[in-house]
Amino acid sequence: MPLDIDRFAHVASPLQRWDPRVKLFTLGIFVFSVALIKTLPIALLAFCTAVFILRQSGLPYDFVASSIKWIIFFLLPFFIIMPLSYPGETAFELIGLPFAWEGLQIATLIFIKAVAIILTTFSMFGTARFDVSMIALQHLKCPKILIQMLLFTYRYTFVFIEEMRRMQIAMRARGFVMKSNIKTMHVMGNFVGTLLVRSFERSERVYKAMLSKGYQGELHSMVRFQSERQDYIKSALVLTAAGLILTLDFSGLFLPAKQAWF
Amino acid sequence: MHISDGILSAPVLTAGFIGTVAVAAYTLRKLDLDDIPKVSVITSVFFVASLIHVPIGFSSVHLILNGLVGVVLGMRAFPAIMLGIILQTILFGHGGVTVIGVNTMMLGGGGLLAYGVWQLRHHVNINKKEMIFGGLAGATGIFSSGIVLALSLVTTGEEFIATAGYTLAAHIPVMIVEALVVGACAAFLAKVKPDALAGQLPLTQKSSPVKEKATAANEEASK
Repeated sequence: MPLDIDRFAHVASPLQRWDPRVKLFTLGIFVFSVALIKTLPIALLAFCTAVFILRQSGLPYDFVASSIKWIIFFLLPFFIIMPLSYPGETAFELIGLPFAWEGLQIATLIFIKAVAIILTTFSMFGTARFDVSMIALQHLKCPKILIQMLLFTYRYTFVFIEEMRRMQIAMRARGFVMKSNIKTMHVMGNFVGTLLVRSFERSERVYKAMLSKGYQGELHSMVRFQSERQDYIKSALVLTAAGLILTLDFSGLFLPAKQAWF
Repeated sequence: MHISDGILSAPVLTAGFIGTVAVAAYTLRKLDLDDIPKVSVITSVFFVASLIHVPIGFSSVHLILNGLVGVVLGMRAFPAIMLGIILQTILFGHGGVTVIGVNTMMLGGGGLLAYGVWQLRHHVNINKKEMIFGGLAGATGIFSSGIVLALSLVTTGEEFIATAGYTLAAHIPVMIVEALVVGACAAFLAKVKPDALAGQLPLTQKSSPVKEKATAANEEASK
């Protein structure tokens, strides 16, 4: 799992040139409209749109695939649980359990929508540096305090991952092997505790260093945004797609994957 | 442990966002200036710790530790967990943009409840109470999250009742692991760095002899 989603932010692409403020706003609306879809054909259409947008981002295929495979792994249980537990009419019996096509349809719908949204998340946050995206969010009226905390948390995550790796190596060097017993849980509790104590001390130092540099609750940034006509044209295209998807979905041309939802 | 995009219905998603904004606004208002870097740095520890996988039988679970966030950060647990979830959404695409609200209510609410359970330790006087109440807090965090998850599934549609049941059952081993880990961690912190724990009473009776001597010396000097 890559933690640095902005690893390929330098790759030039139409999405990378898009003003981050306009990009995040537009794709954010697109994501919400995908979440509201309830018919299968439209979900597929939205999925294709998401793939198309991602293709424009120029992000390497391997990079996206390595994260996607985990999500797919988490969503797979739905394909087993939903068809076998759906209360509708049963098509046939599968190892003694009723199998409903409606259940399978819902599972497919959920799967397609989830993957489409994740792909769009990559287009949103993979095409600009993390701090630039955050400052763009601040321009979109996200609370300042939240943005500051997100930037801090993100920055120190990498420090603590390093720290955790070092501690794990030290544990292995002393012959510790994880097993499913109380002893392991106890050791892991102490492990997390040690990590916490270190972080407390570090946060103390970080705060003092910031105070000495004149921190008064504001972060100042050198990033300046400028939106041009091209930015709004891209935005208009995506918003039209989102509107079209929702209109088609609500038009009743296609049967919803199931009734009595929404 | 979080719910993915595309499952829950619009009313449930909206309710999640409204609840999150309300509670977050309330808890963020209580943050001081010096809390901002501190809470964020500690949040990143929890974020990293949640990458740890602990084996159970043939499989493994990753730590969630929302109970421990409550034990360490108190009321500030809610914004901390919200940060973690937003970061997870942006970085991994786990969960998703539309479910940030529901997921924060689920895990953050668990964190706040865990803090409530943790505070109950002041009313009892037993040995190893940090370990016991830490364990209870850890279990409470997961348990209440499981309940909220099941509820949000059931209110979305009847066909999710079975799924909700399986999810709740899957939470039981996680609850046990978290109880053990958080209990051990709380006991460790109580021994090593008691002021790292939330809601510690000021040490009036048990203040350290060195400190007492120092204050006595100071008083004498001032005379």
